[in-house]
Amino acid sequence: MKGFIRKDFAMIKSNLKLLIILFILYAVMGLVGDNDISFLLPFMCVMIMISSFSYDTYNKWDAYSVSFPNGRKNSVKAKYISTILLILIASIITIILSFIISYINLNTINYKQILVTMLGSIFGTLLVLTVMYPIIYKFGIEKARIIILVITFGLIFIGGFILSFLDFNLANILSFLEKYLIIILVIGMIIMVYVSYKISENIFLKKDFD
Amino acid sequence: MENILEVKNLCKKYDNFELKNVSFSLPKGMIMGFIGENGAGKTTTIKAILDIIKSYSGDIKIFGLNNRIDDDKIKEDIGVVLDDMFFPEILTPNDINNSMKYIYKNWDSKMFYNYLKDFSLLPNKQIKTFSKGMKKKLEIATALSHHPKLLLLDEPTSGLDPIARSEIIDIFQKFIENDECSILLSSHITADLEHIADYITFINNGEIILSKTTNELLDNYGIVKCSEKQFKLIDKKDYIKYRKTKYEYDVLIENKNNFKTKYSIDVIDKLTIDDLMVMMIKGE
Repeated sequence: MKGFIRKDFAMIKSNLKLLIILFILYAVMGLVGDNDISFLLPFMCVMIMISSFSYDTYNKWDAYSVSFPNGRKNSVKAKYISTILLILIASIITIILSFIISYINLNTINYKQILVTMLGSIFGTLLVLTVMYPIIYKFGIEKARIIILVITFGLIFIGGFILSFLDFNLANILSFLEKYLIIILVIGMIIMVYVSYKISENIFLKKDFD
Repeated sequence: MENILEVKNLCKKYDNFELKNVSFSLPKGMIMGFIGENGAGKTTTIKAILDIIKSYSGDIKIFGLNNRIDDDKIKEDIGVVLDDMFFPEILTPNDINNSMKYIYKNWDSKMFYNYLKDFSLLPNKQIKTFSKGMKKKLEIATALSHHPKLLLLDEPTSGLDPIARSEIIDIFQKFIENDECSILLSSHITADLEHIADYITFINNGEIILSKTTNELLDNYGIVKCSEKQFKLIDKKDYIKYRKTKYEYDVLIENKNNFKTKYSIDVIDKLTIDDLMVMMIKGE
């Protein structure tokens, strides 16, 4: 599997420049203005990894990788691990940058807010990954792009529609969330990623590459 | 003789195409040429052997093991060149080496870089900058560098110039020298196969119509060129197929010597694999 992860990272080499630019942009915007774009950084990692699927598809890597020992299993596992590794690395760098920015700006480090922002961002990013990857493995990257657009707009539309009818007591929910936020997020993330991975693996193990 | 690859009753159905009971076996230390028209089922057969397509019926044994049950074990010892499947083209040969050394237990970086040098491929250039022939060479280098025992090669010499082809053919010949390794090789360049293949397996419309040693084919089979009058004298069971050309009849026969004794026709052309394919597919 290590070989597959190395291949995934080799593929995004050229995109790493983009990430570095984003880090610099984040630092500059944080220091000069008051804009916080830290939530964007983990998200960019998933987008970069998703772009690697296009290259895989173009050269039929998936079918080729089946000819390797444990090819079907490792191909999927490596994609998930590579993506999560990239998100973690980007998040750690972002957190360190945030600490520095916070210290320079405020002379103190606002640990709690920074960590919660990052955790929320990682959660959102993983949510995209967990929905997107099984769809990509099932339908291919081209169709998946359209499907994910439809799902996103569908959810926003339906969600907004339901919320406008139901009179939620948002304050109650939020205070509940705040109390258990970190635990809920972490457990939620682990379950989401595991279920998504198992679905993708299952799809890939049965896939016919005609 | 021990078989390194055995395919038995392989069937796979598509809407417009079907593999029908494909069976053949490849002994140790041999090269089998796998021939047939485009779309005859060569790639589909190779994909089934590798489990790249799953929904087929039949029994495939590699190194005496079932290809589905012992999949991982088997694949350590198989090298492949597949028609249009490879590493993503934004990668470099260096990237391939860095990945492959963790994918195959027996990956031999030194051997890989030696091949790159022999083929004049720069290790730090992206694959997309390579010409078609260079890409093929890289695919071949990648297939060979983990000391496989079986090579499954789908059109490995397509896009190569004659010099590169002869270079590659020499490599294949060396590969089987130790009598432990075998190659299944599909190719349209049948002259290459006449040089190196010990067996010829011919697939047409999803069916194996012939699987014989190359010597048997080239020594015994022949093409008789005769007039219509002469053709009418030939017993139906003495020929396989015939074709009517503008001036004469081309008749594919299975046993040159018997034919010569029975009929007083002396001009029997030596068979080439190209002739064989044309006669078998176009002949009546």
